[in-house]
Amino acid sequence: MTGGKTEMAVLVPERGTTVLMIGNPNVGKSALFNRITGANAIVSNYPGTTVDFTSGTFIGGGRTYTIIDVPGTYSLDPRDAAEEVAVRMLRDYPDAVVMIVLDATKTDRGLYVALEVMERGMPCIVAVNMMDAAHEKKISLDIAALQRILGVPVVATTATSGEGVRDLADMLRKAKVADIGAIAQRMRGEEPEREPAFTCGGCGGCGGR
Amino acid sequence: MLTELSGLPFGATAIVREINTSAHDLNCMGLRIGKELKMITKQPIKGPVVVLIGELEIAMGLEIAGRIMVETGTDI
Repeated sequence: MTGGKTEMAVLVPERGTTVLMIGNPNVGKSALFNRITGANAIVSNYPGTTVDFTSGTFIGGGRTYTIIDVPGTYSLDPRDAAEEVAVRMLRDYPDAVVMIVLDATKTDRGLYVALEVMERGMPCIVAVNMMDAAHEKKISLDIAALQRILGVPVVATTATSGEGVRDLADMLRKAKVADIGAIAQRMRGEEPEREPAFTCGGCGGCGGR
Repeated sequence: MLTELSGLPFGATAIVREINTSAHDLNCMGLRIGKELKMITKQPIKGPVVVLIGELEIAMGLEIAGRIMVETGTDI
């Protein structure tokens, strides 16, 4: 540990809000984690690189966050040891904010576990990572529409270049509990009640105000 | 025509119509009813099969593939 980090721990003794990073394997959770916390978790281009959790600290907007990089999981019905860790983390930190990380090129698969997490009633924020890969593959994503449907902040990121990571960090305090019933209604094209926090439905750059 | 996924020839495309095994396990991997898939790898001696769904490659045992019914021959 460097001298700087030790000093930080002395200045900010409280652990603050815990943030769990949940998502499919190989969507870039660890890369995003390293970007946010400045840590050095092992990143590779293979699913299943993170088998145990890593935690780091992020201080932003006057708040301290303990970010936990959780192993990737396809569902909350675990089928291997790494997935069990993910489920155990959710159970052990019931007051945590969940940062759901999606691969922009494979959003439908990521949304499966995303909705399972949202059903648990924990405050969520969604990071649509690997936007560069999506651009390369000519996949366009309507981030504003996804945010409107889910009713939680959605931020587009590219962890490898750092694009959108600051927005994501700024939006952490805006994490919200998703309303599964309202999501289902919006999917059917009905409008439940207006969400004043998201009237702009825009880029998220203003912090959703 | 409805056939077992395990019987789909290499390179063929089809639409998933029935999942007669743990649907949850396959759904969370991105294989759902109504999805179009393409057989991209078949291994000899009853080895695993790999299908492509959009950008996703999903590998599964031949036995599991035998419990997934797919529709071929439609205009896809």
